[in-house]
Amino acid sequence: MQTASLRARFEEMGTALTQKPHLKRLGQLFSETVLIEVDDQQIYLYFHRGLLERVEEGPSSKIPWRFVLRVDGEALDAFWHPMPAPRFHDIFGFVKTGRGRIDGDILTLVKNLRFFKEFMALGRQKEAA
Amino acid sequence: MALEQIIGRYVTIEVQGRKNRIYFEEAGSGQPVLCFHTAGADSRQWRHILNDPELTKAYRFIAPDMPWHGKSLPPEGFHEEEYLLTTEAYMETVLKLVKALTLENPIYAGCSMGGRIALQLALKTPDPFKGFIAIEASDFQPAWYDIDWFHRPDAHGGEMGAALVSANIAPQSPEAERWNTQWMFMQSGPGVFRGDLSFYTQDDSLVGQLGRIDTGARPVHLMVGTYDMTCTPEDAKRTADAIPGASLAVMDGIGHFPMSENPDVFRPYFVDALAKMG
Repeated sequence: MQTASLRARFEEMGTALTQKPHLKRLGQLFSETVLIEVDDQQIYLYFHRGLLERVEEGPSSKIPWRFVLRVDGEALDAFWHPMPAPRFHDIFGFVKTGRGRIDGDILTLVKNLRFFKEFMALGRQKEAA
Repeated sequence: MALEQIIGRYVTIEVQGRKNRIYFEEAGSGQPVLCFHTAGADSRQWRHILNDPELTKAYRFIAPDMPWHGKSLPPEGFHEEEYLLTTEAYMETVLKLVKALTLENPIYAGCSMGGRIALQLALKTPDPFKGFIAIEASDFQPAWYDIDWFHRPDAHGGEMGAALVSANIAPQSPEAERWNTQWMFMQSGPGVFRGDLSFYTQDDSLVGQLGRIDTGARPVHLMVGTYDMTCTPEDAKRTADAIPGASLAVMDGIGHFPMSENPDVFRPYFVDALAKMG
């Protein structure tokens, strides 16, 4: 997936997020920048109080981020499959299988884990539609 | 509105020299089957089996809440101590319950940490039991997460625990049961999931010992779901292969909490497991 396509996918997920009132409620204390690295592409996600305010393409060495999810493109595509296979059904599957890493302030991720996992799964919902 | 057949009762037993008031649910009559829950949850994980009208014709299912879990209170003085479960305390709890409930030749069935204890019982104190069903069980599972995440003053350990264990639930499982399964983790007492995981992720005393389990008189059957990321099918196979005479069933399209997250998929595998107990 090209960087522009990846950015568009996350922007669509941001739009889908506005249709999920429970996620806005769960994410009300989540105002962080998250870096997503897919192969050699970088996407910055700017969350504010449970909404995705904007998406920017990297690379950049000037943008601070709270945590980063690094994953290979094939694994992310498998995660976004409407019915993902075992170990591709959850972001921690990337880590367990060595297909990805999560670095940075992990505690912030874990405190907001349900919100972030359900946000990431919105890409799956779009594909299933 | 249908009244369910499950009955809840309490019994007080002494574990490691301290009184513990244990809550347990039961249903059915016939061959007793003790059903133990996973870390961070309680006996409600077994609700579908205990409500099964066919199985309860031949089996008496008894599902306890471990001390500190569900409706079993922690022992007196808990407010000033750190909860850390041990293999010894778990095994003593099971054996004291067998005695207190005067169970004759029960089948032991346990999931995750309960499955680990199935293997420990089969190795060390098999005598009171007819056989062992070890679900999502392996000899040892080191943590792939930091267990201290789940007990902090600045965050809700139950919500974090539920969000983590959702990684072990299959996406095919019915949405209502997936969330019922996670709710038990959300309700878990502060520090309880961490204290369970402490034992589960650190006690490697079964490693190298599985070959000593005698399955001749008391069968050992393992079950594992393909979506289990904590005890993977490879982990369960490694464990089953090390136990002479043990059998293994790999359950497609189900995760680490099979009896709770997808009862329809779990049931035939469990019926087969019970049949293997003789």
